[in-house]
Amino acid sequence: MATTESSSYTPDVPSDPLTRITDNIYIELTPNALDSLACTRFVRSPSAGATVLFIGTTRDSFNDLPVSSLAYTSYAPLAMATLYSIASSLIAKHQLTKVAIVHKLGECPIGEESIVIAVSAPHRQAAWRAGEEALEETKKRAEIWKLERFEGGEGVWRANRDGVMGVKVEDESGGKEATKEGL
Amino acid sequence: MASTKVPAGHFSILYFAAASTFTTKPNEHLPAPLEARNLFAQLEERYPGITEKVLNSCAVTVNLEYVDVDGEEAEHLDLVIKEGDEVAIIPPVSSG
Repeated sequence: MATTESSSYTPDVPSDPLTRITDNIYIELTPNALDSLACTRFVRSPSAGATVLFIGTTRDSFNDLPVSSLAYTSYAPLAMATLYSIASSLIAKHQLTKVAIVHKLGECPIGEESIVIAVSAPHRQAAWRAGEEALEETKKRAEIWKLERFEGGEGVWRANRDGVMGVKVEDESGGKEATKEGL
Repeated sequence: MASTKVPAGHFSILYFAAASTFTTKPNEHLPAPLEARNLFAQLEERYPGITEKVLNSCAVTVNLEYVDVDGEEAEHLDLVIKEGDEVAIIPPVSSG
């Protein structure tokens, strides 16, 4: 089927982290475990009174179906450019001090971090808003794909928005779509 | 991921997620030049059913830039994919 993956699928991921770093932006795609503290440290600044940290972890179920494992794949050069563009737009829009966006690639064990976003700003309102916007923009635009494997079954390529590959079963934030073939 | 050396007279095309599942490969080389507006038809010929199952929900990039070749008034209808170009099929994304 078009949207399911055999259980033998192994994601094609870079063996080393990819990073793009400036004075106020840190972008990373990595096969390694994410380090949320390092993101916090990067955005910390004497001119920022507020730091907001978001940690996304992988769930063990989808609509009560047990998910046994997840893997992320990416069009890495394009995803790096997209994440950088999201970060620099947010800095301009919310007058942020610094932004860090780090995403996991490859196998991601259940319950572990798949994404970490840290933003700092002079005041808390901007930091809260920008932190949420950074996550939503990333989920909407970054060229990264999640494969969910259900116990005893094939994998399903998830889609964060409606598309022919997914049948929406819950009207909430991204990642809440099921694919018929997978259910 | 990105293909290695592209043979003369070809461009490389990358398939991600469901596109890769359908074609059963992460990438391949196709003959260039090719008018971008004919890309989906070309792929449908090689992979019958891919348009409805996969491509209709996908975006396309050429050398890391999104191109719009869908519909009569699409911006890049006249774009020609050239030898050595890197084209990618981008299904709906699902990070986070």
